[in-house]
Amino acid sequence: MTTTVSDGSVLPSSIRNHWVRISRIVVVSITLCILPYLVETSIAGISIGNWISIHILILTVVWAFTAQAWNIMGGYSGQFSFGHAAYMGIGAYATMALLVGFRLNPWVGLVVGGFIAAGYALIVGLLTLRFKVKGHFFALATLAFAEIVRLFITNSSELHSASGYFRPLPSDYGVGYGLVAFQFQHRLPYYYIIIGFLAIVTTASWLIKHSSVGLYLFAIRENEQAAESLGISPTRYKLFSMMASAFFTAWAGSFWAMYFATIAPDTLFDLFRNVEILLPALVGGLGTVMGPILGSFLVTPLSQIVRQLVGNVPGIDHAVFGILLVFIVLFNPSGMLGWPRKLKELRSRRR
Amino acid sequence: MYLLSVLSFQSPFLNPIVNFIDDVIHLNPILLQLFLLALLLGGVYALSALGLTMIFGVMDIINFAHGAFITVGIYIVWVLFGMLGVNPLVLIPLAAVGLFVVGILVYRGVVDPLIEAPQESQLVAMFGISLIIASMLAFAFENNPRSLGFDMGIITIGSASFGTDKLLVLCITMATMIVVWLFLHRTTTGLVIRGTADDRSSAEYVGIDVRQINRLTFGIGSALAGLAGGSIALIQQFDPYTGELYLINAFVIVVLGGLGSFPGSLVGGMIIGFIAIFGGYYLPGTVNQLVIYVIFVAVLLMKPDGIFGSDT
Repeated sequence: MTTTVSDGSVLPSSIRNHWVRISRIVVVSITLCILPYLVETSIAGISIGNWISIHILILTVVWAFTAQAWNIMGGYSGQFSFGHAAYMGIGAYATMALLVGFRLNPWVGLVVGGFIAAGYALIVGLLTLRFKVKGHFFALATLAFAEIVRLFITNSSELHSASGYFRPLPSDYGVGYGLVAFQFQHRLPYYYIIIGFLAIVTTASWLIKHSSVGLYLFAIRENEQAAESLGISPTRYKLFSMMASAFFTAWAGSFWAMYFATIAPDTLFDLFRNVEILLPALVGGLGTVMGPILGSFLVTPLSQIVRQLVGNVPGIDHAVFGILLVFIVLFNPSGMLGWPRKLKELRSRRR
Repeated sequence: MYLLSVLSFQSPFLNPIVNFIDDVIHLNPILLQLFLLALLLGGVYALSALGLTMIFGVMDIINFAHGAFITVGIYIVWVLFGMLGVNPLVLIPLAAVGLFVVGILVYRGVVDPLIEAPQESQLVAMFGISLIIASMLAFAFENNPRSLGFDMGIITIGSASFGTDKLLVLCITMATMIVVWLFLHRTTTGLVIRGTADDRSSAEYVGIDVRQINRLTFGIGSALAGLAGGSIALIQQFDPYTGELYLINAFVIVVLGGLGSFPGSLVGGMIIGFIAIFGGYYLPGTVNQLVIYVIFVAVLLMKPDGIFGSDT
């Protein structure tokens, strides 16, 4: 517990620290909430809104959300999942299948999808832990489990095979546009919904990290044998982190389905999606609470701006992701949250 | 047959098996056609996995950029063919040389600094490289599917027929395997590579420059990807993401055949080829791919050393 936990939580927390932390949270939350308006305000005729649309803001928060959920598993317990697209896809499909097939409200689908995803994570977890699949084999196995979901859906005519679903009108399931319907005529409400999701998963993540469960997870990540010898069951806590992570990731799928109105296996389970989900956590700082959010606010707008600058060659923005992946791994494994310390080091070296 | 068809009505899952047995009993000529296609496809898959298995076996690194390397090989042959107009078979070795250089560069820049890093970090960095390469290719050549448009004719055996190009690729696979095997087992450098694969730290103790061996291995593995790419350019349409499709199958083959095992890759490639072709014919939709992934997961869980174990 001495080394990698480096977001300041190990420092002795005085009351002053406490207030600093609370005020920081308040500032971040308020900024996030007024961001759509901030972006629109123009200074001297130049507005960020020309570059960052509300759509990009929504995407940014979506990937912050998924990275936060991924982090509970990949960051806290150190099990590097390369197949979180499975859980996101399950959430999207549960929502749409219940909505189109049974006229069930999407919020029901959201919860059901969460539990199905957690169930699938339980299966994946039990199998990989039982057979002690580790390191890059674990990453490959999670990737394969995600592909299995994609192919299962592609081959199930009950789930509309490869053609996917299209979102029905709210009146089809007996409500009007609004929060209950999970459908709006403008984009702005979607932004506040996903901000709400982000708040929930961040709170959950913070609670997990600062509970005994979080301590156990970090202990297991740092030294599994030592943790086990102290009576901590690695299997139990690893399974918990996988299921919690999958449960929340499925929500992003539900949101995706309702926001984009159309889902299909090929777009939802793209190999690249697995990276998109985890990259903000990697860039921001693995195993930290603020890292995934910070990371997404760097990665997502950057890739979108590059896409606009270069012109519309699909996939060109992937270069941004590629360069960031290589850069982070090579030079900056602690992520953006390590930047202030690095700067300090640089300065002191100069003196 | 009556009994079998009754059975099939009761259980749609048995249908494919019943149809297959039916065809075998009646010696349906389609079987020969399917067999030949599976053999040829298996050869392509085996070739696409050779470089991956070599790097994996010696360095214990999953080269997630292997698929992108294959794509680069494809485009090298395509560009040179467009410029020179010679028989593309001549260009395939050039693709291998080009990828050897790319491999050395990637090794210098990314692999060497990460050789002691956690496996996840290596995997992420290599995936990053593959994204960079793919978007560069998309930028340079756009996403439209291309093909060489170089017709080599068709070979007919009885009622079955297949493209000459595919047979050539199978020959390339076999020749490559023999050459690499001879290199690994009949030269001193090969012996050193195998020794390093066996035990890195011991290799260092007896005075082997492990970094140099790593560089060479990564270069050769990349060159093999180029060879595979050049061959794939002969037989199919391609776009900047074609290599990715081969990458996933190559993972399966490497794990199935055993890390670093060349005979294993051939067998693994054949297994995947046969499932792809026969499954594609008898099973509905893309269930054949589902079968491949289920086998993949099963092998990963039960026996990550593969059927043949490791023996580069």
